[in-house]
Amino acid sequence: MARRDYLIGKMGISLLTLLFVLLLDFMLFRVLPGDPVRAVIGRNVRISADVQNSLRAQFGLDKPIFPDQFVDTLGQWARGNLGVSWSQRRPVSEILISKLWNTLLLIGLGQLFSIIFGVMLGLLAGWKRKTPFDIGALTFSLIAWATPTFWLGIILLVAGSAWFGLPTGGIVSPANIGKPLHTVLPDLIRHLILPTLTFTILYLGEYMLIMRSSILETLSEDYILTARAKGMSNFQVLMRHGLRNAMLPMVTIIALNLGFTVSGAIYIETVFSYDGLGNLVQTALVKQDYPLLQGAFLLLAVSVIVANMLADFLYTYLDPRVKAN
Amino acid sequence: MRNNLRVFVIITILGLIISACGGGASTANTGGPVTSAPDATDAAVLHIGWLGVPDTLNPAYAFLTEAYSIFDLVYSPLVTESPSGEYVGALAKEWSASDDHLTWTFALKDGLKWHNGEDFTADQMAWAINAVIADPDGWAALSGYVDGFSEATAPDAKTVQIVTEYPIANMEYRLSFLYAVYPPDFESFASPEELQNFVNDHPIGTGAFKMNAFDKDRGVLILDANKEYVDGAPFLDQVIFQKFDAADAMIQALKAGDIDLVLGIPASAYETVKNFQGVKAVAFEGRGFDELIINDTSEDNDPPSTGNPALKDPAVRLALETATNRQDLIDIVLQSLGKPGSTIVPPTLGGGFWHNPEIKPVEFDIAKANQILDEAGYIMGADGVRVKDGVRLEFRLQFDAESSNYPRIADLLSDWYKQIGVKATPQGMDADTLIAAMTAVGDYDLVIWGWVADPDPDFILGVMLSDQYTPGGWNDSGYHNPAYDALYKKQQSAIDKNERQEFVYEMQEMVYNDRPYIVLYYDVALQAYRSDRFTNFIESPLGIEISASLAQVKPVDK
Repeated sequence: MARRDYLIGKMGISLLTLLFVLLLDFMLFRVLPGDPVRAVIGRNVRISADVQNSLRAQFGLDKPIFPDQFVDTLGQWARGNLGVSWSQRRPVSEILISKLWNTLLLIGLGQLFSIIFGVMLGLLAGWKRKTPFDIGALTFSLIAWATPTFWLGIILLVAGSAWFGLPTGGIVSPANIGKPLHTVLPDLIRHLILPTLTFTILYLGEYMLIMRSSILETLSEDYILTARAKGMSNFQVLMRHGLRNAMLPMVTIIALNLGFTVSGAIYIETVFSYDGLGNLVQTALVKQDYPLLQGAFLLLAVSVIVANMLADFLYTYLDPRVKAN
Repeated sequence: MRNNLRVFVIITILGLIISACGGGASTANTGGPVTSAPDATDAAVLHIGWLGVPDTLNPAYAFLTEAYSIFDLVYSPLVTESPSGEYVGALAKEWSASDDHLTWTFALKDGLKWHNGEDFTADQMAWAINAVIADPDGWAALSGYVDGFSEATAPDAKTVQIVTEYPIANMEYRLSFLYAVYPPDFESFASPEELQNFVNDHPIGTGAFKMNAFDKDRGVLILDANKEYVDGAPFLDQVIFQKFDAADAMIQALKAGDIDLVLGIPASAYETVKNFQGVKAVAFEGRGFDELIINDTSEDNDPPSTGNPALKDPAVRLALETATNRQDLIDIVLQSLGKPGSTIVPPTLGGGFWHNPEIKPVEFDIAKANQILDEAGYIMGADGVRVKDGVRLEFRLQFDAESSNYPRIADLLSDWYKQIGVKATPQGMDADTLIAAMTAVGDYDLVIWGWVADPDPDFILGVMLSDQYTPGGWNDSGYHNPAYDALYKKQQSAIDKNERQEFVYEMQEMVYNDRPYIVLYYDVALQAYRSDRFTNFIESPLGIEISASLAQVKPVDK
């Protein structure tokens, strides 16, 4: 009963957030300076003022932002229609879905590896505090966390392609495009190695640092002492009492990251010419493609909100205090 | 307790599996089927890296250069520009104009076939041209080229005739963009929007290469050689274009051998690329230039111009140019990859035919620039800024802040101008705000910007026309010269090439002497290819990836 009320409350807040995001989403790109029509046709192209005006009318840009454009956009959204991209001339939802899966694949793998290695490293470092292992892991994590994404990506790209012959870009080799998945799987994996590695290194540091400080805090609790007094082995103490409690802040961070990394992959996707959402957002911004930008940001906002809800949901399982309240 | 932890783990893993499967699904279902992929071991496949992707393969509504690179390979027009700047027949064998220059007759080459094997006929070419004439809104990207066209007809299967309303001097140039599109693909559109929304992912043309697959999401485009090509089958079997989002990654791909040809290398990377093993870097003069725009808006403009009135003084303009060190700009900003600028018609147009070589840029000389201003009565003030009749030589120096070159150019110019008692304050701005402040408003003093000229001088000469000084027009300096406008009309209908050249020369002289623009430098385009794998490229201002070049490229014998 208590859990249901808690979840309903959280969902209410999420819905309000979503409404606010919708409003912001519409306004945000329209306050940017610039002319979308010029952005779509590029500069120095011999397009007469007449043709530019007819495009402007086609995009609905000849009407005032309030109320016409706003009402039109809201009406479209209410019908579940995200509109048609100006620069690509395809339905926005279709574009977003095709990119979303690619991004989720990259983020999913990257998060999986960084969580596994980050948690393990943090746990061990906390357990073996002030040993050379701890100091080494700490140094590595701090450096990894502080490294600029773009720079790490390009370094790994140069090293990976020069020394290991790994591909320099794309999601599969051009010759394999359009072939069934099972035949291109090895090629797909080869293309995923470098971006996933970049992603893993970047997030591993953060997870390790938080896990380490969290486990240190937990290990100083009285119940750990009690557990030891009961005669449990080191491993049992660490796993049953340490890890479980130290995971709480990790769940929050992981859930938040899951939402934000959809956009955080922009740099990685750009370095590796990876056909995903981040890359799409970047091109859409350059082209000032309002429908596409709105759609993409809506998706990003929803994914952050959903990830947060997921964290709240998991809390009810992981933390008895939430259940009790 | 344990169960709860297990739930968490299961949910996480499930989520990851779902996303992984999804990724696979999209890999499997996008992009057209790749047919007859040549065997990797012995086929000659040229991999080209580029930083963009065609906006659409529909010539009616394509605006980006990348699209035109593909049209050039897949489609053919009646005539096309050759690497040396002459116009040569593509579909046409020969052509002539009637004595009144209103009727053009083109004899088609023998044995022309569409990529699908059907015969190409003259009435199909006529249809393609008439379609643009009939629906200028739908054919937005090409309608400018048929201005003044009445109609195209096909008197017989091998002859195309075009009738125009007035004599058109640059007829060949215009026709080089009017591609023979396959009529059945384009016949059925009810409205201009329907035509514009047609993506044409499998264009059928008559060019040296035919479409195999285009995956816009991944930026991959695959062309197969057209073994039936009328001018002889290409030596290559396949050409694959692959998009990169970061220039550094693309250059690494060239070094690693993932790609064989790079279109557009940043100047800062050129030296590095030159030293790659098995790679040849080529630099050639392009059609672009950057200039300093001087506000020339007339006093009675509405709204009134905010430009400093001293800029109207020819002596001030001359002094500014004399205090501009073009060679230093090129060496510092472009890593020496550029050529000092003089007129608005770059030396590469028409193989050099249109650029007036008599016009030499003023030599850089700070002392002389000071002398010019002294003689014109501008007195050096105590704060180092010259004044005449209460007007201080103090200017805004604006530029598009997104450019990597302009901020440095602005700093250099500002330094030199300071030495002649001119205060120019650099100010980076958003490009569109800047355009809005310039065209038809005149709310600026000095602006750094650039143009890329068309192959024909008509367009770049047009940016100085009085009637282009409108919102959305091309005239950004406010230059107004009725004599120039009259010459422009004359060159447009001067069928005799040499006569037209005289007009074009004279117009360049007018603009150079009046200085609405100080042309700083002409661009150099940078490309590179794997010379250990491919040879026989044609290096020209049109780029090494044009149809004429790729049709003769050969793999290196191993």
